[in-house]
Amino acid sequence: MLLVALGALVAYFAARAPVFLSSQELANILADFCSLILLGVGETFVIASGGIDLSVGSATSFSGVIGAFAMKALLDGHQNEAVVLAVGVAVCAGVGLGIGLVNAALINWARLVPFVATLAMLGAAAGMAIVLSNGEPVGLDPRAISYTTAKLGPFSYPSLVVIAVVAVAWLTLHFTRYGRYTFAIGSNEFAARAAGINVRRHVVSVYALSGVLAGLTGMFVYMRLGSGAPTAGLNDELQAIAAVVIGGASLYGGVARMSGTVLGTLIINTVTSGLIISNIQANWDQVAVALLIGLAATMQALRPGRRR
Amino acid sequence: MAGQAVLYEAVNVSKSYGSVEALIDVNVQLHAGEVLGLVGDNGAGKSTLVKVLSGVHPPDSGKLFLEGRERRWSSPHDALAEGIETLYQDTGLAPHLTIGANVFLGRELLRPGLLGRLGFMAQREMERAALHELAQVGVEVKGSRKTVSDLSGGQRQAVAIGRAVAWARKVLLLDEPTNHLGARQALEVLNVIRAARDRGLGVIFISHTLPHVLQICDRIVVLRLGRVVRDASTSEFDAESLLGTITGLLEKSP
Repeated sequence: MLLVALGALVAYFAARAPVFLSSQELANILADFCSLILLGVGETFVIASGGIDLSVGSATSFSGVIGAFAMKALLDGHQNEAVVLAVGVAVCAGVGLGIGLVNAALINWARLVPFVATLAMLGAAAGMAIVLSNGEPVGLDPRAISYTTAKLGPFSYPSLVVIAVVAVAWLTLHFTRYGRYTFAIGSNEFAARAAGINVRRHVVSVYALSGVLAGLTGMFVYMRLGSGAPTAGLNDELQAIAAVVIGGASLYGGVARMSGTVLGTLIINTVTSGLIISNIQANWDQVAVALLIGLAATMQALRPGRRR
Repeated sequence: MAGQAVLYEAVNVSKSYGSVEALIDVNVQLHAGEVLGLVGDNGAGKSTLVKVLSGVHPPDSGKLFLEGRERRWSSPHDALAEGIETLYQDTGLAPHLTIGANVFLGRELLRPGLLGRLGFMAQREMERAALHELAQVGVEVKGSRKTVSDLSGGQRQAVAIGRAVAWARKVLLLDEPTNHLGARQALEVLNVIRAARDRGLGVIFISHTLPHVLQICDRIVVLRLGRVVRDASTSEFDAESLLGTITGLLEKSP
C-alpha cells in the first residue's frame, strides 16, 4: 500500500523531470532521508508507547550547536579529525540523552502530559540553540563534509551508520521484549503495570532513546553542513510525526510499524524533493505533507475493526 | 474452612482518594482452598480493596499478611512474584496485542542463547503455550495470533480469567469475572473457579450477580460505604437477606 504510493510518487516526478532519477538527486534524497529517519525511529517508539515527542526537531538543532562548539574547540587545538568527530558524536548523543531524560522527568514526576512536556522542551531547546549561537552557524569544518561525500557504493559512511541504527531499531521494536513492553504500555498502561512491567522506567528509556536519536541526527546534519546550525532541525518534529502516522501508527498508542515509518519518511522526502525539482514553489511541500497526513489518518480511521 | 490457616489477610486497612474514604478499617481473611465472596453496592470499596490486595495501591494505614508474614507491595510486580494473581474489572488486557502476548505479558519467554540474552522473544512458542495454558484451565480460544480487540467481550473475559488462573500460585483476586458473559459462559467460569479452589488456591470473588455469589462462595463479606458490615458463611444468607445486607435496608426494617 505505502510501497505503491511511494512508487507512484517516484514515477510521477520522474516523468515530470527525468533529472529526479539522477544519481546526484538520489544522493540528495538519501541524505534528506538520513536527516529525518532517526527522528522518525525515536518517534515510532514514543508513539507506540502512547506518547508523543515534540522536542526532537529542536533537540537536533541544540545538540548540533553544542556539539559544534565542542568540535570547534578541538579543531582549534589541531586535534585529529577522527577524534574530533568521535567527540562530536558523544557530545551530541549526550545532549540528546539529557533532553530525553528531562522530558521523561516532566512526564513521570511532574505529571505533565507528553504533549505539554515536550512542547515546553521544544521551545526551550530551540531558544537556547539560537541564544548560544547568536543565530549563526557554529564552527566551520569542511573536512567533516568530506566524510559524507566519501562513498561505499551509493552510500556515504554516515548514512550506513544511520541505516544500521534503523535496522537495530526495527528488530528491537518488533522482536524483543523491550518492543513488546512499548506496545503494551501504549495499548493499555494499566494492564502493563498490572502485569508487573515497570512502566515509569520504560517511559524514561523511550524518551531517552528518542533524545539520543535526535542528538545523532544533530551530528549527521553537522557533518552534512560542516557546521552546527541553530535552525537545523526546525519543524522536523512535525515531519517525523507525519512519517510515523503515514506509516500506519495510531497516535493513541499500541500500533506502529518501523517499516511504515521508513516508507513514510521516504514518501515525505520524495514529495519534498520532487516539488523542488519540478520548480514548484518550495513552501507547497508543507501543504503536500499535510495532505498526506490527512489521507493517512483518514484511512486509519476507516480501517475496519481498528477501534481504540 | 474453620481451623485452616489464614492464607492472605488484610488488617485494619484504610484507603482514601483525596477526601473520599474508599476503605475504612477493613479486616478480611482468606483461607487456602476457599472462595470468598466480596459484595457491596457501587462505591462500597470492592475494587479499591482488590487494588490494595494486588499491590496497585498501597493502603494509607493497616497491614497485609501473606501466610502470616507482613508484606508491603510497592507495585503489582511484588504481589505477582508472590503468587497473587488478579483479574481487574474490564482493564486487564492490552487490546492491540495478541492473545499469546497478553497471556505472557510481563513473563515473556526468550529465545535460547545470545538472542535471548539480547531480549529476543520466542514468539511462536509463547503463542502455542498460551493456548495450551488456557485450555488447561478450561478456557478454549481459537487462534492465538488474533489480537484481543478482535475478540468478543465474552472471549476477552475468558482470556483474562484464563491468564489469571493459569499463573496464580496462591491467591486469585477476581473482580467481576462473570461480566460480559452469557449464561452458559458464566457457568463455565464458575467451574474454572471451583477447579482453582480445589487446587488449593484462595479465591476472592467479586460480583454484582448475587446468584453466582451464593452458588460458588464458601463465605461472603459484605462491604458498604467502605466498611465491612457482615462476614459470614454463605449458608447464613439467602438471596433476600444478602440483598438486604448490601443495601442496608435489612437493619432498618423491624
